[in-house]
Amino acid sequence: MDYSISHILRYKYKNLFTVISLTILTFLLSSLFLISNSIKYELNIVLDQLPDIIIQNQKGGIKTLVDESLVYDILDINGVKDVKSRVWGYYDFKKADVKFLLVGVEEFELDKYDVNNTSILVGIGVRDILKKYYYNDYFNFINSDGNIKKLYIKSNFDTVTKLESNDIIVLNKDTLKNIFGFEDSEATDIAVYVANKSEIPTIAYKLQDKYQNMKIITKEDIKTGYAEIFDYKSGIFLSLFIISLFTFFVIIYDRMSGVSSEQKHEIGVLKAIGWRVQDVLKAKFYEATIISLSSYLIGIILSYIYIYIFQAPLLKNIFLGSSSLLRNVDFSFVLNIDILFIIFFLSVPIYIAATIIPSWKLSTLDADEVMR
Amino acid sequence: MILTPEILTIYILDVIFAIFSTIAFVYSIKIVIGWDANATTQKQYKLEKQVYLNATIIKFLLYIKIPLFIFFIFTLDKISNILPGAMCGAGVVNATEYGVSLLLLKILNIYIFTYWILLDKYDLKVEEQPYIKLKFFIYIIAYILLITEIIYEIMMFSSIDIKDVVDCCGVIFSVTDNSYISKLLGLPHFFQLSLFYVIYISMFIIAKLRLQYLFSLVNLLFLIVSLISLISFFGTYIYQLPTHHCPFCMLQGDYYYIGYLIYFVLFVGTFYGMAIGFVRYKVSLIFNTIYVALISLYPIIFYIKNGVWL
Amino acid sequence: MIKFNNVTKRYGDLIALDSIDLEFKKGELIVLKGVSGSGKSTILSLIASLLKPTQGEIIVDDKKISKLADHFSSSFRRDNIGFIFQKYNLIKNLSVKDNILLPLVPLNLDTLELENRLEIVLEMFNISHKRDIIVKNLSGGEQQRVAIARANINSPHIILADEPTANLDDKLSKDFISILKDMKSLSKTIVVATHDPLFFDLDFVDKIINIKNGKLVI
Repeated sequence: MDYSISHILRYKYKNLFTVISLTILTFLLSSLFLISNSIKYELNIVLDQLPDIIIQNQKGGIKTLVDESLVYDILDINGVKDVKSRVWGYYDFKKADVKFLLVGVEEFELDKYDVNNTSILVGIGVRDILKKYYYNDYFNFINSDGNIKKLYIKSNFDTVTKLESNDIIVLNKDTLKNIFGFEDSEATDIAVYVANKSEIPTIAYKLQDKYQNMKIITKEDIKTGYAEIFDYKSGIFLSLFIISLFTFFVIIYDRMSGVSSEQKHEIGVLKAIGWRVQDVLKAKFYEATIISLSSYLIGIILSYIYIYIFQAPLLKNIFLGSSSLLRNVDFSFVLNIDILFIIFFLSVPIYIAATIIPSWKLSTLDADEVMR
Repeated sequence: MILTPEILTIYILDVIFAIFSTIAFVYSIKIVIGWDANATTQKQYKLEKQVYLNATIIKFLLYIKIPLFIFFIFTLDKISNILPGAMCGAGVVNATEYGVSLLLLKILNIYIFTYWILLDKYDLKVEEQPYIKLKFFIYIIAYILLITEIIYEIMMFSSIDIKDVVDCCGVIFSVTDNSYISKLLGLPHFFQLSLFYVIYISMFIIAKLRLQYLFSLVNLLFLIVSLISLISFFGTYIYQLPTHHCPFCMLQGDYYYIGYLIYFVLFVGTFYGMAIGFVRYKVSLIFNTIYVALISLYPIIFYIKNGVWL
Repeated sequence: MIKFNNVTKRYGDLIALDSIDLEFKKGELIVLKGVSGSGKSTILSLIASLLKPTQGEIIVDDKKISKLADHFSSSFRRDNIGFIFQKYNLIKNLSVKDNILLPLVPLNLDTLELENRLEIVLEMFNISHKRDIIVKNLSGGEQQRVAIARANINSPHIILADEPTANLDDKLSKDFISILKDMKSLSKTIVVATHDPLFFDLDFVDKIINIKNGKLVI
């Protein structure tokens, strides 16, 4: 084993290239898996908090506001636990080129935060943005009439995952309606909570039947929608990866076959002093294992650091770019053994396999030939 | 068609296996046909070199196969979460016609490859290398089995349909059906247990007498009887449920993954008992004893705790 | 004891050795005398089982080594032969210590054992002080001593030396001869292939064999 290590070190530059490329490969692959896994994890947490069914109104296929009176009718349906009308919308803060998510809640829910109809509750991200534009104590909304609505800014709040608090502003329902110009009886959509989760499809069906024009969305639909996007994206990356794996294989094979005469001479010497073919093979095997194993470990560790400490700068956007729900997710650390195994199997054995034939060719060189 | 990253990984490695095992196969044929230990021709030298290539490939195959097998079992388990009706690997195995054969093939192949390596090690110690032709002839057979295994594997995974409901192990291994599995499992416990322990004890006697071939045979019997009794009797004590007969569920976290240990000692013990020519009595007996002790503990502890048998 | 029975070595049309019969007794110091290309190096390679004869049989210590498979010929070489090459064939970028221990690597001996053996040969050939120096930084004479030490690390009872004094000056050549004497006193069988006249009238040489164009010259 020591011999192999010293051999690797003696041919540093060549081996470095291999190690680096293998590490990059492992790094990309594991980042891919880890990100999609973390996202699925975060997604599940978020989605579980969503209402079971969401009802949206549409006219001509385009989303419009619903009538709040629907709530009472829906409550009558068997199996429905609770129904709420939800008032929310996007406020375009043009100066900062951001859209805030405004969420309207009932008065009593705001009491504990000491917020009334003249103030708003903001998340950390929002507070920082507002600060940048010198809105420290209050913010001037421009409502649908074109008038200014001044509202005071109140304390920030935490939530379970940092998903939600980065561009949300919570305020009184009626105030919000005023800003957006809703009628008193209008709401953005209706959230339905079902007592027995397995009845969600049935109730969704009933609702669709009752309100033929409305759009009925279940939690499952949303989950599936997101899953499809991620699987699609992962699929692309995976295919790219397989192609690069193949290329890599070919490169390794090629490189190892082009052995310098110095290396050949060394093998010749070894055999002349009593090394058997299998001793040389063993040394080559150790070499291959050390190289691939270290690359694997380094690649994995790097990708963990990249994702969980630096929060995956580039890849994050590729994955989350189009989603509205997960705009500002923070990846929390999840240890996934099966991913570690998958990546191991896709890197180490393949590298070692690529070295089998070249190593063999080298080991079976006639000692005498190379030393003349 | 089901394609998770795990399955994709297995496919990729299967392709690599197929390529390399075929290379070894081609050379094996050349060796079996043309090997002449006394010749000093160019051709003979070439063959000698090819022997090393083959040996390396076969070792590579085995060393990767073993962790891959564990990974395979683990994958079966994972898929069972997606397949409706399956609660453990058993459901997945039974979802297609290839499942059971595949599993048995995999185990058989690991046995054969390990045996080959032992043969190779020994062969290298003796100068005349008498087993060269035999070795590669065995490999040729192993190759055919390996390719069959790979084909089955691909067939199995590609024919799993997530829309089909499969049976869970409770149904597959029930004793009330009319299938021959249930007849086997339905044999009276007393009979199964006495057979099991009698065979176990006889191994010691035969080992003492150093009757190699008999020892192999008895180990084979032991393997079969162990698996049957595990499913029909001992397993129920691991799950603490008289109707739960399943060889797979014990591999899951709920039971502390004890299944991996149980199978490991059983396979190692019987392997060393069956490897003709390399039989290691001590090792085989030790591992088999660990197996017997381990599984016997479950019913005993259950009885102590609860005062009754299931 | 080394025996050559009607050994012929051919490389295509070139005949390197032609029906050679030899017999060396244990503990003898034999000099193979001949110019370059006469076939004396070939004889050494055959004894070391680095080459296989085209015809004939080579027997070392009652063991036929001509037809051994690579695996066994390498073990044979490792256990019985210490070869000092003309060009030394050391691994330039390794240290003296690593070079000397190289033949023992596949044996997986424990560190203590390795240290012991290392110490012995370092002392014997007077290079203890250069232990950790990288070989390419040594002088010619020092490198040769490393090569000799390496050849002795496994305590072989046959030492083969190919043109050992070809690259040495007078003084170093004489040093080598005294080393040769030391090795002989350890009752090793030594075969030296050379055309250096320095070897031709030494008192401790048992046999001088003339080789010309692949044939023995009586």
